[in-house]
Amino acid sequence: MDLFLQQTVNAFALGGTYALLALGLAVVFSIMGLINFAHGELMTIAGYVLMYCGLAGLPFLLSVPLAISASMVAAVLMERIAFRPVRNSSGATMLVTSFAVAMILQVLFQNLISTRSQPVLLPQLLSDSVTIGGLVIGVNKIAAIVSTLVMLVVLDRFMKHQKTGIAMRAAAEDFGVARLMGIRANTVIAGAFALSGLLAGVAAVLWVSQRASVDPLMGFMPVLKAFIAAILGGLGSLRGAVAGGFLLGFIEIYLAAFLPHEFQEFREPIGLGIVVLVLLFRPNGLIPSAALKAIKV
Amino acid sequence: MLTSPRQHIISSVLAIVIAIVLASLLASALGAASERILTVFFISLIAVVGMGVYSGNSGILSFGHLSFMGIGAYTASLLTLPANLKVATLPKLPDWLATTEIGLFPASVIAIMLTVFVALLIGIALGKLEGSAATISTLGLLIIIHGVLIGWRDVTRGSQTFFGIPRETTLWSAAIGCMFALIIARLYRDSVSGLRLRAGRENAIAASAVGVRIRRERLVSWVLSAALMALSGALIAHFLGAISPKKFFFTDTFLLLAMLIVGGMSTVTGAVTGAVAITVVTEVLRRFEGGFSLAGFEMPAVFGTTQIGIGAIILFAMFRKPEGLAGLKEWEERVFSRPHAVKVTASTEQPTKDTQPLIAKGMTMRFGGLTAVNDVSISLRPGEIMGLIGPNGSGKTTLMNMLSGVLEPSSGKFHRGKELLSGLVSYEIADRGIARTFQNIRLFPNLTVHQNVLVAALSTKGGVNAAARADAALERMGVIGHAHDDAGTLSYGDQRRVEIARALACLPSLLFLDEPAAGMNWEETDSLMETLRMLAKELGIGVLLVDHDLKLINQLCDRIAVLNEGHLIAEGSPSEIRNNPAVIEAYLGPNKD
Repeated sequence: MDLFLQQTVNAFALGGTYALLALGLAVVFSIMGLINFAHGELMTIAGYVLMYCGLAGLPFLLSVPLAISASMVAAVLMERIAFRPVRNSSGATMLVTSFAVAMILQVLFQNLISTRSQPVLLPQLLSDSVTIGGLVIGVNKIAAIVSTLVMLVVLDRFMKHQKTGIAMRAAAEDFGVARLMGIRANTVIAGAFALSGLLAGVAAVLWVSQRASVDPLMGFMPVLKAFIAAILGGLGSLRGAVAGGFLLGFIEIYLAAFLPHEFQEFREPIGLGIVVLVLLFRPNGLIPSAALKAIKV
Repeated sequence: MLTSPRQHIISSVLAIVIAIVLASLLASALGAASERILTVFFISLIAVVGMGVYSGNSGILSFGHLSFMGIGAYTASLLTLPANLKVATLPKLPDWLATTEIGLFPASVIAIMLTVFVALLIGIALGKLEGSAATISTLGLLIIIHGVLIGWRDVTRGSQTFFGIPRETTLWSAAIGCMFALIIARLYRDSVSGLRLRAGRENAIAASAVGVRIRRERLVSWVLSAALMALSGALIAHFLGAISPKKFFFTDTFLLLAMLIVGGMSTVTGAVTGAVAITVVTEVLRRFEGGFSLAGFEMPAVFGTTQIGIGAIILFAMFRKPEGLAGLKEWEERVFSRPHAVKVTASTEQPTKDTQPLIAKGMTMRFGGLTAVNDVSISLRPGEIMGLIGPNGSGKTTLMNMLSGVLEPSSGKFHRGKELLSGLVSYEIADRGIARTFQNIRLFPNLTVHQNVLVAALSTKGGVNAAARADAALERMGVIGHAHDDAGTLSYGDQRRVEIARALACLPSLLFLDEPAAGMNWEETDSLMETLRMLAKELGIGVLLVDHDLKLINQLCDRIAVLNEGHLIAEGSPSEIRNNPAVIEAYLGPNKD
């Protein structure tokens, strides 16, 4: 039972990170139909900023906002430089563009920083653990869960009550109509990218604080998982992305903990197999996007 | 059966054979290094056209195809690996497999068959997903198969190198494989299945409405492309002599996808162009990777020059030519684009034999809280022209969508004779003699007008006599002169006429037209009216006509039904409708006197 609770905490921590990443992908996808492969590189950028801040001796509380702002700025720049020229193209064109951006950034990290994994200085506090009701829980896990929840609540309020947030939700349901209502495309898209950069930055801080290192391909795997989480939740649906992220986190952690030893090598295929099973029964995901219903015939 | 002119196919196949033979001869003359480069190029090209067969024709990008290459490579290698080596490196292999040792050719055939089987299962599951969701799921497929290859140590040696594979792939066997793959891919593109799939890529809803079963065609191309990937995998394994799961993962996926996309994924010409462009650039950049000196200026070694080069080419291609360097047409389609002579035989058009009326009862459609169509009962007989009018948002198009199977009604049933039609999907309804056009024109813009109409004829009534049916429909609508233009380049009125021709090619007994006269001038409208009268009189087709042009409706229709806010408020002859107080109120507002 203890092991189960312990793993549940881990699942919340990992699932929360996936949820933030999937949400960042979903915000951009729902508005402009772009599957952003370079989302992982935003994470990597935030990770490297954390590393350099650590080397420069900045306090962690200062380096975190710096890292997050860096990934936000990078996201907005990415949109301005690479994605604006292909904005009205097909989904495949945009996807391929983003993958070229990701490839170029990865090579740049390898050349300008290092091909190898670099250590990141973290405050001692993060690697401590506390005992709650007989459970030993790492501070980094608690921090991850708390930050995820805070982010989700803040985002929910932003999307519900802020003008830009409401505009973004409107654009996500039907961009064409939203533009006719006087919503500026550039503002909404830049906002969506800034938001996805913010989410990638927070996810990067959480990711690095569990691992204390950063490498040029750091963002690749988690973002791949976030893609799958986004599909699982319902592509283009924001709530679905969060649900999918958590579900994928739970599947992975529980499989790692409870799958019999001889099957552990097949953990990844089995986990994705479960995702496929869910999708066979719910092809549009757990919480399908509202835009699916808005298709005009 | 092929749908394109024989001249195109012959010139394409000849060009493929000649180019491959010449390249191979040249490479053998230049020496071993060139032979190696060309062999790898040929094998990669098989994989690129393999991916193109699915992604290009269906429009769904796939990241998962390298897993089929991996399955093909491992299966073939397990069969050709010398038995004594197998016993030493893979002791847990079952006996029957451990003692098997066959040549590359039979091994490749078995590998392809196994891959086809796996692809069939995966394709059935994948068929449930649409567009971007399908694309990302193929990413999942890549990770799953990679995980299985790594985990299944007893058979694959896990993440370690699987070595000792006999190096039986020569330049000429790669060349023959490549020739085979290119010709298959080229023929598939213009096969009936390929044309249907391309129509589905251009506009899925319209394709389904003219009888195309998109999921089935996707599955066909998915399995065929998996077979080509397996061939490529078998050849590359027997060229390298050693493989590992890493070979069939992201790096090579991206490289091959880059070739496909830079060249243009919808044509074989594009696949070849892209493969040549990327291969040339990587070969050139590879020489610079270790650093070089130019006019006394020392360039340091830059790691990953080739990746940056490929990335830059992709960005350039996407910004400048999003359809790829070769565009959307095969080279021979550009070179030999002269129109072929069309001969219309009078006998192809015959009055419809299906005289059962369509009877719909209690049709209701709710979208969330909004009831767009509320308990509407309506009937339509072959041979009559019925108008369906009503203010904007009164539910005309929604009713039409339900009766054509595009939308599933919330409640209500419709049938013809004894056959219940409600519950059928749009391609089944199209095959039962109900064809339609759309309010927002839904042509297949990058297919020619002829192909637009041909695909409808091929996909309904068993495809019997399809070419003649297509020509007759084009002739009747007066657009046969545009037969070889791309549908997307026509004027608005012509596009509307092509859409009607496409519906007629389905040999319907009932025809639904959603605002066919929108955007036409009065001259065009008059000629359209004349055509519709002929359809009803000569061919006995029943027409259900939605339009806002009340003059057109009044002059043309035998009966008129009026919808308002989802309710059927009146039905009768034009003069009855003109004097109906409920109709006048719906259009002009309540009388305030």
